[in-house]
Amino acid sequence: MTVAADPGAPPPLPAKTGRALLIAQALKAFRANRLSSVGVVIFVIVVVLALLAPVIAPHDPLEQNILSRLDGPSAEFWMGNDSYGRDIFSRLLYGARISLFIGVAAIGSAMIIGSAIGLYAGYRGGRVDAVIMQAMDVLLAFPALILGLVIVAMLGPSIQNLIIAISLTAIPPFARIARAPTIVVKERDFVEACRALGFGDLRIMVLHVLPNILSEILVMGSLWLATAIRVEASLSFIGLGVKPPTPTWGGMIREGFENILDTPWLSVFPGLAILLVVFSLNLIGDGLRDVIDPKTRTD
Amino acid sequence: MTEPILQITDLKKHFHVRRGFPNPKTVIVRALDEISFTVRKGTAFGLVGESGCGKSTAGRCLLRLVEPDGGSVEFDGVPVLNADAATLRALRRRMQIVFQDPYSSLNPRKRIGAALAEPLLVHQVAGRAEARERVRKLLDEVGMPAEAADRFPHEFSGGQRQRIGIARALALGPDLVVADEPVSGLDVSIQSQILLLLKRLKESHDLSFVFISHDLGVIRYFCQEMAVMYLGRIVEIGPIPDVFNEPLHPYTRTLRDASPVPDPTTKSVFTRIEGEVPSAVKPPSGCHFHPRCPHAMAVCRTVYPRWTPVDGDRGVACHLYDPEHGGEVTAVGAQA
Amino acid sequence: MAAAPSQSVTQSDVALDVRGLTTSFYVGGHWYPAVRDVSFTLQKHETLALVGESGCGKSMTALSILGLVPPDTGRVEAEAILFEGRDLTRASDREMREVRGDGISMVFQEPMTSLNPVLTIGFQVSEALRHHRGLSRREASARALDILEQVKIPSAASRFNDYPHQFSGGMRQRVMIAMALACQPKILLADEPTTALDVTIQAQILELLRDLRRDTGMAMIFITHNLGVVAELADRVAVMYAGQIVEIAEVEHLFARPSHPYTEALLRSIPRSDRDTAELYTIPGQVPPITRMPSGCRFAERCTYRQDRCAGDQRLTSLRDAPTHAVRCWRRTGGDLPTVGAADD
Repeated sequence: MTVAADPGAPPPLPAKTGRALLIAQALKAFRANRLSSVGVVIFVIVVVLALLAPVIAPHDPLEQNILSRLDGPSAEFWMGNDSYGRDIFSRLLYGARISLFIGVAAIGSAMIIGSAIGLYAGYRGGRVDAVIMQAMDVLLAFPALILGLVIVAMLGPSIQNLIIAISLTAIPPFARIARAPTIVVKERDFVEACRALGFGDLRIMVLHVLPNILSEILVMGSLWLATAIRVEASLSFIGLGVKPPTPTWGGMIREGFENILDTPWLSVFPGLAILLVVFSLNLIGDGLRDVIDPKTRTD
Repeated sequence: MTEPILQITDLKKHFHVRRGFPNPKTVIVRALDEISFTVRKGTAFGLVGESGCGKSTAGRCLLRLVEPDGGSVEFDGVPVLNADAATLRALRRRMQIVFQDPYSSLNPRKRIGAALAEPLLVHQVAGRAEARERVRKLLDEVGMPAEAADRFPHEFSGGQRQRIGIARALALGPDLVVADEPVSGLDVSIQSQILLLLKRLKESHDLSFVFISHDLGVIRYFCQEMAVMYLGRIVEIGPIPDVFNEPLHPYTRTLRDASPVPDPTTKSVFTRIEGEVPSAVKPPSGCHFHPRCPHAMAVCRTVYPRWTPVDGDRGVACHLYDPEHGGEVTAVGAQA
Repeated sequence: MAAAPSQSVTQSDVALDVRGLTTSFYVGGHWYPAVRDVSFTLQKHETLALVGESGCGKSMTALSILGLVPPDTGRVEAEAILFEGRDLTRASDREMREVRGDGISMVFQEPMTSLNPVLTIGFQVSEALRHHRGLSRREASARALDILEQVKIPSAASRFNDYPHQFSGGMRQRVMIAMALACQPKILLADEPTTALDVTIQAQILELLRDLRRDTGMAMIFITHNLGVVAELADRVAVMYAGQIVEIAEVEHLFARPSHPYTEALLRSIPRSDRDTAELYTIPGQVPPITRMPSGCRFAERCTYRQDRCAGDQRLTSLRDAPTHAVRCWRRTGGDLPTVGAADD
């Protein structure tokens, strides 16, 4: 028996490349969860409809049709007309644009700011972490709706202020959700290896820790997008939302609420729309959570 | 003997841990209690001991991955512990670390090529094209094919990941590598591949090593000198194989005799081993080993033994060898 | 079917007789054997070590014997697994539950996770006695205390009502062993029981197992990757590679004449603490994955002695001059390669 001069060559590598494999795994896990696929389909349809609103809306959402006031669904006005005779279906499509825009903008900014705060606090640890997270906990103590209500009441109702209000309420949960995995990831040897290689803290946080906690943040994002749409609707419903006549789902429910027994279609259709979107986002969030669950992950 | 490359003097690290419920108290864990040793250029210095003895903390403290509380570390004449940011950054290129767990030591979201190129780009020792070439060479040096650069860590086995971890440590061309249990998670056949690789790299790159392990066989194979640690302190230092052939400290002897050897004809020669490893939170008074020591004397219960040099290049912290307590400096094997 | 080498002894001396055990797993639409055609006999009072690297099937062999392979992903087939005149492959779930913990019990690697953290150790040790022996709470406690003293837990009486987290790793492993011994099993399956422990604690546990075997006369299957531990404890050794036993022999014989090229290479790959290792041998490559097992000798692609005939089926066959030493390598059993002497030097 001879002593090998060189430690043996490792065996050939598997054919699939890493990224493809990861995505394939994610898709597989996602597909296994039928309900979340349903969620994706619903949400994509809603987004497409909202984007194409100017093309597919049969009427101008602001056009008042005195003759058709409070009419029920008909061949021309699929979901009926409101008290000004405006087409509910068209308003619903345009309303989706506003509601989704507010949700995405608010959650997008909350996600960025909250994650940055959580990442920083978790990475630094110690006293910095304690102080930041105490402050977050104080904010977290208020229910999102109440906090949003107070902020909008102070700033005045407008799309911009709604976004600020909703985003402020969502920052603390994102900080929390980013901090927890950061603490786990920063203890792993590869982060220590980065420090041993002389990398700066910012580089380590952004390029090494963040990609490893992104999935958790995205799950949170999809679930919070649903909350944001709900909060926006709630604020609009109590009159702290976007000013009329701009259509929003919450505003539409409010306008129809007074006559809900006589002309239920005014509120039911926007209500169903909210239900559908919130439901689909929750399905997506659950599906995503299953995908990133360590039990279904290989690494 | 070559000149020293790393000199560690009285290195100290105490962790403050709050624990207890409902009235938490702060307890001090003396992870490292004033340890001193010297690593010579081109040699491997082994740090051996059981879990909780502080050997890994020592490795991290000397690299300042954990900030030590006291003592000094001198690398090639440069003081490490009070080095400013720029000096430390320069030192990072010359002192590297290889980790135990190949599954946690690589970023799962980064391709191997990017992970290996990153230090080169950050330290501006190579441009993008040159870095790619260097990565190929690094992979080749650790016995990995060039295509590995396009893959993610989860596609590799533990042994292959450990090779990649070694390649990363070599990327900046270090002079000293701290290897923290680099082969303990691996199967025997993979372990020997990695040990041979490290040994070959040690020769070809003229590397010095601080080699941390709990496995005496691995230490004996890889290192030229070793220190035995027990509860945050070094109890014995000496060249290999002298420490194995004639262990001075009773703990070293215990450790050696307890290590199983693949030879059934030598079985059951080891003496019964008393007790368990005490907690580093509340180490026994005097010599920490005295409750388990077959030779414990009255003085061992009260006074921590001072460092006693033996035979020039060896040393031990044990009253048995301290002339003041009736020990004899030269009688070794027969004592224990 | 290859004859296990020590079947010449009378059946009454046999504690366990495993014949043709194959355990397969369902991976990507196909069944792949993780353990293939494993046969061995365990004598009464004997310690048989199953040794091999991770994934060689040693733990799966133990789980298969105890009927603990998850039925939805794994499939156990065997000609027979004979224990006390019963064929365990044909035993009902209920019968298997009676055998487990009573006739055959198991000790696992992780003393931290194998104990229930919310139950006292006294309760956990006496539980098996109440379940299998129908003892009253008081009788079971008294017996449990005896066993805890037998496994040398210091001041066992005062620690009887302590919880697992109040014990060190070594002590927890003693508690695990006490639980396994509670019903005085005929056979103890120990799966890497010392791997998670420090060497001085490992030495203590090995010492304990040796004493217990002497005092109780139980047979033991000791599963480990550590050949040093094998040398300390085993009477006989079965070396496993890629789901098969490649060599089985008395311990002195195996270490003196490692005859399968894998065993030989493995022994030379271990850096030893008791002597200088000038040159460490290394086995190139790695174990083939379960989904891509070569036909013929599974070690062939890493073997220095490989020849074309190695692609053919390999049987576990006794060495000509040593009937109790069987090897799965035609070059060694066919006499084409000289057998080695000692492992090294």
